[in-house]
Amino acid sequence: MTQTRLLIIDDDPDYVDGIKSILEKADYEVDVAYNPKDGFKALETGKYDLLLLDIMMGRGAEGVMVARKINKDPVLRETPVLIITGVREQIAFLFPGQPVHPRFLPTDELLEKPVDPNLLLEKVEALLKEAKAKKAE
Amino acid sequence: MKKFAYFPGCSLEKIALSYNTSSVETAKILGVELQELEDWNCCGATTYFHVDQLLAYTLVARNLAIAEKEGLDLVAPCSACYKNAYFTNKYIKEEPDLAEHINYALEEDDLQFNGNIDVHHIMDIFVNEVGMDEIKEKVTKPLEGLRVAPYYGCQIVRPRKNGEEIENPQFFEELVSAMGADPADFPERLRCCSASLIMTSRRAALDMVRVILQNAVDSEADVIATACPLCQVNLECYQPQVNDEFGTDYKMPVIYFTQLLGLALGMSKKKLGIGKELVSAAPIFGEF
Amino acid sequence: MAAKPTFSQEISNLLYASKGNPLKTCIQCGTCSGTCPVAEFMDQTPRRLIGMINANLKEDVLACNTYWFCASCYHCTARCPSKIDIAEVMYAVKRYSIWHKTYSEDLVGPTFSETFVRTIVNSGRSFEPVLAPTYMFSMGIKEVLQEAYMGTQMMLKGRMPVLPTKIKRLDNFKEMIRRIIPVGGGK
Repeated sequence: MTQTRLLIIDDDPDYVDGIKSILEKADYEVDVAYNPKDGFKALETGKYDLLLLDIMMGRGAEGVMVARKINKDPVLRETPVLIITGVREQIAFLFPGQPVHPRFLPTDELLEKPVDPNLLLEKVEALLKEAKAKKAE
Repeated sequence: MKKFAYFPGCSLEKIALSYNTSSVETAKILGVELQELEDWNCCGATTYFHVDQLLAYTLVARNLAIAEKEGLDLVAPCSACYKNAYFTNKYIKEEPDLAEHINYALEEDDLQFNGNIDVHHIMDIFVNEVGMDEIKEKVTKPLEGLRVAPYYGCQIVRPRKNGEEIENPQFFEELVSAMGADPADFPERLRCCSASLIMTSRRAALDMVRVILQNAVDSEADVIATACPLCQVNLECYQPQVNDEFGTDYKMPVIYFTQLLGLALGMSKKKLGIGKELVSAAPIFGEF
Repeated sequence: MAAKPTFSQEISNLLYASKGNPLKTCIQCGTCSGTCPVAEFMDQTPRRLIGMINANLKEDVLACNTYWFCASCYHCTARCPSKIDIAEVMYAVKRYSIWHKTYSEDLVGPTFSETFVRTIVNSGRSFEPVLAPTYMFSMGIKEVLQEAYMGTQMMLKGRMPVLPTKIKRLDNFKEMIRRIIPVGGGK
């Protein structure tokens, strides 16, 4: 059986190092793109089973733009997306104490940085399982 | 009458009120109607760009969309507003993904922007839409003997918009000449007024203002003409602080170019908001 | 797949439509520093800052005041022979320092920007008196008095806003913002 392939799109190299090693230890094959443009291009190759996506990148909250673009694409939308973000912390001065918007991409899972390694693995596994079940239907 | 959607911007509500009234009134005399944009919002100055450029473009796009709904090109008298609106318009036209994303946000205000309008600075309306010939024809009280330092500042020329001359522009000098005044040879006319550094880096800003004021004095100008509210406030209102900091004695009037133009067109000082200066312009305007 | 980016690439990744790494084309000619009207007040000139970014001296870059002293006059951008949009690079480093909270505490710029943007997202329009406290705290008593005097003069001339203004469709405006930055409230 081939390894499950994950893609991370996140601009923070040190943070990526951390979650990448957690995921690799759990036997996933992990690729990384450090900007949204390269990330979307990589995703379009269609070889990934799940995407881990950051929000604040490039010019601003470009992760939202990427997530919406994926949602609009009939093929790419089959790929489960796990948002991992520090947005609340990064722009806390704008919306102090307020949560990440509840209406934001309701179909996706969202974790806030810092992420507990076990929770990360749990969510990844659950999303992959769900996607597999959907495919089998 | 040619009509534009007029985006005054936050500064023109109060601090630069005289720029607002003089723009609208002089334009009217020259056959241009400036119709204030309905329920406009702040252009974001430079600060949005420090946080999220997508947010910056979206908020500017709301103004563009309201203008487009009216079927009118957008005109801004503030150089910073103009630069933001110009480039947002350009980027939205160039990048379909960005346009799609911004339009998704604009839906919340029942708006959409299709990139069907152009953006102008108000100077551009006088220089290119009205034209020098027309202005010369309509000047009834030429500002003879008045030596004007044409201060371009930054963002009406930079960054370059469309291949135009940015190292040695002449349109402001030509406009001053059309008013019958004498454009001063003013080498620092393109040097930054310090913009928001007046708030965030005071010492540096006062020095930047000093350089421009000194250059205007050296070029024997009676008055500095500006085309941006931030430039006007920095160059005029901070003269006492500059004098205190550097032991200088500047008393250089700083007037909006639309106020000078209005005088040349025979309008009353009151209508042009002349008299709201902190550095009095009365000594030079006595005769006009 | 992509190797771990250097600091220089990280900054490039923040730039609009960056293809590859535009900073790498810098020839260290110093046109930017010679042009910059604020250079003498910066810890590092623009030329040095770009050199330091390219040398991946991340901590030194983030610790200096250079990018917060950029007035966005675009003179460097207009003249750069390598066509690097240097003002845009300064914005990128500012964003980096806001998102990562790495800016130095004694700078006024970051708090000023944060307060400004907060005012806009809450009202749709800027209101100068709200901004004053963000920079007044950094001033001596004499400057504060000068500032107050100027404010009074402006008020007497009818040039000082007394009440903040709001746009009419503020609720729509706020929802619009949440579609771009997905934090807070919601219907």
